[in-house]
Amino acid sequence: MRNVGIIGVGYTPVFVSKRKDVSIPEMISEAVDAAFDNTGLTPQDIDAITFGNMHTFEGVNMPHLWGAEHIRSLGKPVMRIATGGTTGMSAFQAGYYHVASGLHDVVMIVTYEKHSEGDAQVGLMGIITPEVMAMLASGIDVTGGKGMGAIGGGSAGGISYQAMSYLNHAGAGIEHIDGIAAMERRNAAKNPYAHLKDPNATAETIAKTPLVSYPIRFGHICPTTDGATVCIIASEEKAKELADKVAWVWAVSNCASDATTGNLIEGLITDPAEQMPCIIAARQAYERAGIKDPKTEFDVIEIYNGFAHQTLMFLEKLGVCEVGEAHKLLEAGELERDGRFPTNASGGVVSTNAIGTSALNRVTECALQIMGKAEGGHQVDKDVHKALAHGWGGLMQYVTVTILGDEPRKG
Amino acid sequence: MEVSYMTPVVPMDFTYNYRVGKYVQRYLDAFKDKKILGVRCPGCGKVFVPPHMFCGACNKKLDDFVELSQEGTLENFTVGHIIIEKGQVSAAESPYILGMIKLDGADSLLLAKVEGVSPGEVETGIRVKAAWKDKVEGDFLDLDHFEPA
Amino acid sequence: MDINVAVAGFNMTPCSSDLVTTRERMTFELSSGLFDDLGITRDDVGTYIIATNDFLDGRTISNVFLDAPVGAYMKDESKVEMDGLNALMYACMRIMTGQYETALVLAFGLTGYQVSPYLHIDYIMDPTYDRQVKLLNELSAAALQARCYLDKFGYSEELLDEIAAKDLSNAALDPYQLRQLSDISKEKVKGSDYLYEPLRELHCYPPTDGGIVVLLASGEKAKELTDKPVWIKGMGQSIDPYYIGDRDLSVSPSTTQAAKRAYDMAGITDPKGQVDVAEISSLFACQEPLLAEALGLLDQGRAADVYASGDTAIDGKLPINPSGGPLGAHPICATGLLRMAEAVRQLRGEAEKNQVAKAETAVVHGQDGVCAQQNVVVVLGT
Repeated sequence: MRNVGIIGVGYTPVFVSKRKDVSIPEMISEAVDAAFDNTGLTPQDIDAITFGNMHTFEGVNMPHLWGAEHIRSLGKPVMRIATGGTTGMSAFQAGYYHVASGLHDVVMIVTYEKHSEGDAQVGLMGIITPEVMAMLASGIDVTGGKGMGAIGGGSAGGISYQAMSYLNHAGAGIEHIDGIAAMERRNAAKNPYAHLKDPNATAETIAKTPLVSYPIRFGHICPTTDGATVCIIASEEKAKELADKVAWVWAVSNCASDATTGNLIEGLITDPAEQMPCIIAARQAYERAGIKDPKTEFDVIEIYNGFAHQTLMFLEKLGVCEVGEAHKLLEAGELERDGRFPTNASGGVVSTNAIGTSALNRVTECALQIMGKAEGGHQVDKDVHKALAHGWGGLMQYVTVTILGDEPRKG
Repeated sequence: MEVSYMTPVVPMDFTYNYRVGKYVQRYLDAFKDKKILGVRCPGCGKVFVPPHMFCGACNKKLDDFVELSQEGTLENFTVGHIIIEKGQVSAAESPYILGMIKLDGADSLLLAKVEGVSPGEVETGIRVKAAWKDKVEGDFLDLDHFEPA
Repeated sequence: MDINVAVAGFNMTPCSSDLVTTRERMTFELSSGLFDDLGITRDDVGTYIIATNDFLDGRTISNVFLDAPVGAYMKDESKVEMDGLNALMYACMRIMTGQYETALVLAFGLTGYQVSPYLHIDYIMDPTYDRQVKLLNELSAAALQARCYLDKFGYSEELLDEIAAKDLSNAALDPYQLRQLSDISKEKVKGSDYLYEPLRELHCYPPTDGGIVVLLASGEKAKELTDKPVWIKGMGQSIDPYYIGDRDLSVSPSTTQAAKRAYDMAGITDPKGQVDVAEISSLFACQEPLLAEALGLLDQGRAADVYASGDTAIDGKLPINPSGGPLGAHPICATGLLRMAEAVRQLRGEAEKNQVAKAETAVVHGQDGVCAQQNVVVVLGT
């Protein structure tokens, strides 16, 4: 199986709450332009495109069709991938297989979301349609504020159950969630492509934000963002020809369990903090990449954290540290940019969440760190040899893992 | 034994608010002056209407706006006997014509209603001209239909 | 290029206007049915690719609810939100890397009873222009394409009746097809109502519920699983401009480009001579000859003669849509894979009343978008 390398990344100039100045495809074209500018490549160099976003958020079905000209895809193979929160990494993995299979040499992955144009409730209600039906059948009015409250409370309830379970298993407290959220918002302040930036965030300032459903505070929750991310990958031969700095893909993996683990009405069948799909996806990725000890081998880690506690929870589930250790690493400053386990130097999803891009950004941020090209001061100081990118989504039960290295994987 | 299943209807109503972006905005702004704008590709020279950001064939960004004639040729048409609303098909009150018009100066075809000629008599090749609403506001529906020139 | 991946088996529902089922149940019945047929369990499946559409399923991330019923629990699954033939390409790529030996592809559309199929195209359209001007819909666009195609060579509307009658009589022989109009004729087609001229109701696909699962396997594994593996010889995809006014609707350049990629891989230099049978996702009667031309199976300008002479019939020189094609059934997202399944039946000699005489090389086509803006082509061989 051929080696595949990331040779370039392109972001929209900003990731913000509302891009009023552009239509959806015009916004996406900015990230495509940025990727071409950053690599010196032109549309002719691209053999195929994979495209990811969650289209119910904008109400446009298969937007790669409307945006065909804007992503410079005419005459090319285009494959649209949509898997929920993990979409960006699933689209990346699809691109990876396009090249690793030998079918194509240079592939562009295009992802975006323009949440400001959509109804904020659509993603939520859309996922839990049977639950909505059950509510309707039992006479609960879901069309008004009370109904939204029931649903919102339900989903926040699901996530807060996950957070509580994590805290219990780990022996950590809400102050640690405050702390990791603050760290990531401070990191975001050094990332020009992040959304919620707060250079002065501390656990105390986060603790002052309103409680939504214990232990989830408002300050722990990701924003909704308008933005697009493009990533260009190539076969080993082409990557060496086209780029001086390459972030090599050592492994991709993906695992999905049963959606009912997040089901709100039937009750929770498994502990949502167990995250077996994460454990399995990580194990498979480590095997494929030849990673023997995830506790010592990664220089940079990017975790998909729609909610701040997930950074700590997934560090443990990915085996980067033991259960109960993540919050201690946080306390010791080891998760900071200059620590032993720089985690979410980008600010993570909790600082920037244009859903289609969010899982891809975990990969592109790791790649930029390996290439030494992270801007605005969020580049870690040390040499980055291996990086771990994690994606999470579905109905709390779908995980993608990508491992990158600074040289082609051997064997 | 005949099994029947509950089939609840789930009414989900979502409102989306779209930004039209620079190109559609400029096109609509020109409607206030009853003008029709296209955009020319610096690569192949083709003029597209309504204007959009890229020429797909050349992969070039477009910014050369040009004013098009109000007149053109009917290159293609269909006579509609139905309407489709929210996915539901129903009979139209009476047959109507949708045409694809090549405005003088443009290379792409503009889709518009065609009135002033009967569905039985319309044919490709006839010359047509733009018919505007009396009061134009820079809205999509300002350019109401085309009619025989 | 030696792809070395084969179709080891498939399981499809007979299409219906209302299958009276849930997506999860249909998925479970399709996949467990296929596992039983092949004598395998879900442990034998390496990876899963699902092709459904969130809009049509009425729920976001629809694939996660299918993980359990399709057999992907705690395994690697991804979703291609396009016509299922594209999901097949992706599954094939995964096997080609050597990482997996088998891949299960699932696709379905319950666009018969539960949701209007025309909404699929409605929501594809540009919300900042086309959806505001409100003139374009799937049927008016198809009609404009039909008129453009007919006018180009001066074909009469009767050509559409002839094509539809051929397809619908083929469909009546195929138990998987929804439309079973065994007494169909050109006159009956012409007697159906105009929707947008020149398209009449029977020139267009019917709203359909249907689904399919396909198991792909690498060379050695495929031979273990079945004594009639059907090999993927070539595959390709391409896309045309979105803006309908920018396109010449009488041709399909992206189909030609996709076909070229597939033919080059398969070593086909003379499609008319080397292809035995074609299953094309022509959603409207006019699209069949148009796409066949783009696939290099029909010479431009010759459609009227070719259809009149019976060349495209089941017993003709180059049978096109011997199953009847999508005029018989069009479950959105599954259609391209249904075409593939019909081609597999042909190549295995299992197409019964629809069987063509010589079936060793087949070309299969799928589409997405307004007037087939995006196209995918797969070449299969015995």
